[in-house]
Formats: sequence, C-alpha cells, structure tokens
Amino acid sequence: METTLLAQSLLLALTTAGLYAAIASGLTLEFGVTGIINFAHGEFVMLGAFLTYFLYEAAGVPPLAGMLLAGLAMTALSWLVFDGFLSRVLKQDEHNQILATIGLSILLINLAMIAWTPDARVMHAPPLLPALHLGDVIVPGNNLVVLLVGIALYAGMIWFMRHTRQGLLLRLAADDPQLAVLAGVDVTRMFRLSFLIGGLTAGVSGGLVALILYVQPLVGVDLVMRAFAIVALGGLGSIGGALIGAVLLSAAENLTATFVPGGGSWGYGVAFVIIVLVLVVRPTGLFGSERRA
Amino acid sequence: MKTGLTRLLPYILILLVTLALVWIDKPFWIQLAIGVAITAITALAWDILSRTGQVSLGSAAFFGVGSYTLAIFEPLIGLTLAWIAVVVVCALAATLLGLLTLRLRRMYFAIATLGFALSMQVLVVVFPDWTGGSGGIAPPVLADGDPRWQLALIGLLLLAAVALSDALLGLRFRPAFFMIRTKPELAAASGVPVVRMKIFAFIVSGVLIGLAGACYGGLYGYVVPTDVFTTNWSVLPLAIATLGGMDTTVGPLLGAIALKALEEVARSVIGGTGYQVVYGAVIILFVIGMPQGIVGLLRKAGTLAGRRTAAGEKKKERERHA
Repeated sequence: METTLLAQSLLLALTTAGLYAAIASGLTLEFGVTGIINFAHGEFVMLGAFLTYFLYEAAGVPPLAGMLLAGLAMTALSWLVFDGFLSRVLKQDEHNQILATIGLSILLINLAMIAWTPDARVMHAPPLLPALHLGDVIVPGNNLVVLLVGIALYAGMIWFMRHTRQGLLLRLAADDPQLAVLAGVDVTRMFRLSFLIGGLTAGVSGGLVALILYVQPLVGVDLVMRAFAIVALGGLGSIGGALIGAVLLSAAENLTATFVPGGGSWGYGVAFVIIVLVLVVRPTGLFGSERRA
Repeated sequence: MKTGLTRLLPYILILLVTLALVWIDKPFWIQLAIGVAITAITALAWDILSRTGQVSLGSAAFFGVGSYTLAIFEPLIGLTLAWIAVVVVCALAATLLGLLTLRLRRMYFAIATLGFALSMQVLVVVFPDWTGGSGGIAPPVLADGDPRWQLALIGLLLLAAVALSDALLGLRFRPAFFMIRTKPELAAASGVPVVRMKIFAFIVSGVLIGLAGACYGGLYGYVVPTDVFTTNWSVLPLAIATLGGMDTTVGPLLGAIALKALEEVARSVIGGTGYQVVYGAVIILFVIGMPQGIVGLLRKAGTLAGRRTAAGEKKKERERHA
C-alpha cells in the first residue's frame, strides 16, 4: 500500500513537473538574456489559462487548439509590453527593473479581477487522453497531456537554443552583450526575442493550467513563485537546470503533501525554503554560472 | 545646501497635520492619515536599507513578525515588555536575514528576501498552536481603540522614522552607505566596515517595519496571516520609495501621500475588487515617465527655475552695463 502511494505520488509529481519546467524555462530564458526577472510571467500564464477556458466554454474550440491560440496571443502581448515599456527599463537601475514587471503583474491581476471576478473556474473539457493504468497506479489522461506538452515545450526551447542561428545569437547576447554588439548582433532584438519566446511558452502553459488546475486571476502568482524556486534551484539563466529544478521541487512538494501530516499547506512552504536555502548555500544554483551574480 | 528651515519642514508638517486631524476628529481623515503614516514608515525603512544596495522584497516578513510578536508576547510578559520584544525579535530576524543574504547581489537578493517573507507566512500557518494558524491572532488594541490617540502614536513613530532617515543621510553615514552600494570592494578597502554597516541598515529597517506592523495589528486588535504577510507589504514600500524619490526622506513621504490618495479615489470609483489596478498603472507610468520619482522631477524643475533666475540676473547685469 505504502509503495503504491509512493508511486502514485511520484508519477503525479512528474506530470506537474512538465508544467513547472515549461513555465520556469521561459522565466529563466528571459532573465538569462536580459538580466530582468519578469515578475509578470505568471500573469501571462494566467491570461493563457483564461483564454483557453473561454475559447472552449464559449466557442467550443478544443483545448489543444485553444492552447496554441493562447500561446500566440501571449506572444503578441509580450511584443507589445516589451516595445511599449520594458525596452526603456533595460538601462535603468535594478529597483526600477524590479518595479516595472511587478507593476505589470499588479495591473494584469487586477484587470482580470475586474473583468472576470476573483472566483475560481473549472474547465469542463472531457479528458484528452484515456487514463493510464500501471498496476494500482492511475495517471489521469489530462495529466499525461500536461506532461507531454510540457516536455515538448521544454525540448522545443532547448532545440531552438542549440540548433538554430537565432538561438546561437540569443546565447551570445546572454553570455556577453558587449561582445554581441561588437559582433554586429542587434541586442535589443535578441532581448525582444527572449520575451516573445517566454510569452509563447507562458501562454501554452496557461492552457495546461486550465486542463489540470482551476482558472482564476491569482493562479499565476502561485505558479510563478514555484518557478522562482525552480529557477533558483537550477541556476538563474540556466534552461537545462530548470527541468531538474522542476522535477526536484515537484517531487518534494508531492511527497510532503502525501506523507507529512497536514502537509498540504506545507507544499507551498517547500518552495520557499528551497529558494532561501539554495540562494544562501550556492547563489548560482546547481547549474548556473557566476557571471550574472 | 539645504537651510535649517527646509530640513525641519517635514517634521513641522507632520506635527501640524497630526495635531490638526486629532483636533478636528473626522473619522475618514484620521483613518486615511493612519494609512499614509504606516505605509510611509515602511517606505522610509525600505529606502534606508536600499541605500546600502540591498533592494529588498521581504518587508512583509518584518511587518508580519512585528504584529505577531506583539500578539504572542503580550499575554505572557505584559504590554511594555511585548513592545520591547517586537524590537528585539525584529532586530534578530533582520540580523539573521542580513547575514544569510550578505553575499547575494541584485536580483538574487530580491528573490531570496521574497522567499523569506513567504516562508514566514507558511511558518505561521504550520504552527497553529502558537500563532492561531490561518485563523489569525489578536494583538492588543492600540490606545484602547481611540483612533485619535492611535494616529498620535503612529505619527510619533513616523517622526522617529523621518529622524532616523535624516540621520542616516547625514555626513556620518551617507558616504559609507552609498559607497557600499556602488563599489563594495572600494568601501572595504577604504576602511568602511561593510558587513557591519549592511547588517546595521537591515536592523534599523527591520525594526521600523516591525513596529509599523505591530501598530497596524493594534488598529483593530485582529490580524490574519494573509493580511500582514501578503506580498503587498513587500511591494508597497518599494513602489512608494521609488515613486516618491529614492535616497531622500521627503520622497517616501510624498510617495505615500500620493499613492494612498490615489487608492482612495480608485476604491470609490472601481469598488473593493481590483481597485489596486491603479497601483499597476501608476508604477508603469512612473517607470517610463519619471524614473527619478517625484523628488527627481521637483529637483529638475528647481534647477530649471534656478537657471532661469540666474539667466535673468545676468541679463539685467548686461543691461545695466550697456
């Protein structure tokens, strides 16, 4: 019985890890390239969730297509936000950089509350895949979809960074912006590109949120806090570290929720304890580089 | 250089406004003034810390710890000692967090302090026997619940915060603090005790925010963790100090007045849900339009006016010679 519980807990953790990895890798890419932590990243996820939800409930668009549309919409919004004001903040002091995206986050959350009320909604879509039975362990179909799409997003991002010309330029702009300028790279374009990719992954992740969680204005805050822990764990700016950080955090959360009495409320605390401990013991995370510190 | 009178102006204004409001005794204005004063204290405290280059997102930790310490210790050791306990516990928490985050810079520091604040909230929920869990806790009511005396007490705390901020902007600390922020290695090489100064700023800041939190908890004699530990109390000081103008004493004061006034307007126009949308909008507009804050804008206007009078004098001079 105990082993079944353990296996069930770990498998569910693995599926949420797919979602966490997708969200955290967008966040860490944006930070790695621009040096700005996007506190509004979670709100892009939240908007993606609402979009997928409304597309399905009001227009009958299948969730997978809705997810893609949400991703495209968030890419467009990221473009608007970057050119509209983030690009002007890049040269300002750090407190202004922190404040800028926090301001955006507060704005989006409260607009969502005014438009859609703070209440939680659940998308009533039939499961996209049949549930997976492994002996006594059951993995719901939608959790499988979350795992697959999350991994696909993550793998896609890794592929883009390693095997395309734009990815190469992104890495150059992240590693050494001055050298990139000397090499004739349009650094502002690269900064914008990192935010577009971040917006795309956030929007699609929002669709995943609508599949397995509830849809409400504050859902992005929960998720982005976990993403911070993951990014701190894997190293700020390291996309490779984001996956490992996501798996570790997700496993730690699910295990405490399952085995510690009253561990449901601990689940959240695990993330923060990880943030503080990792940053204190090894500020660059498990896989980060010293440079941005 | 500033003359003695302009330096005393904030103190005189705070005293006069507080006394006037206590005298007039209009509940709405007293509540508004209490709100402005509490946020102004947290913003001043945040600014003091940021002068050493420590851009914190953890103010809520001290705000909450302050109100909870008062509530937990008052039944055990009495009111006076409980207030002393607030100072001691906040100073200890500040020392601990300061030492833990000593090596962290920029965004890493911000994220670690944010994590600390949220961990505190979880800690409160996880140990319900001491803290009342998510159901909340009842700190002793401030000044027997008389809003006028509450305002008077909080006004005094604000005066203390202003005096501290001014003292730390004085010749003795200002150069050390700013050198630690811009060139820590140079500061250390010049004989500035970097670690001690950073921790000192942390303690001053943490204790001030903790006292503000304890006062806040005493307004109604009841607090819940989601109220005092909310990220709002971490963001608000940063937003107010930046909007008003960093590295000054007037900046956080002006910022608190402006933002609270705006909040009241938004609350009556939009209603209870989503009124904070104005925070987001104002922050974005400020960061784009006047990154140096209100004080920066006033200074610019001041230099422009100064130049104009100087130019005018020169012109007169020339005319006289001609």
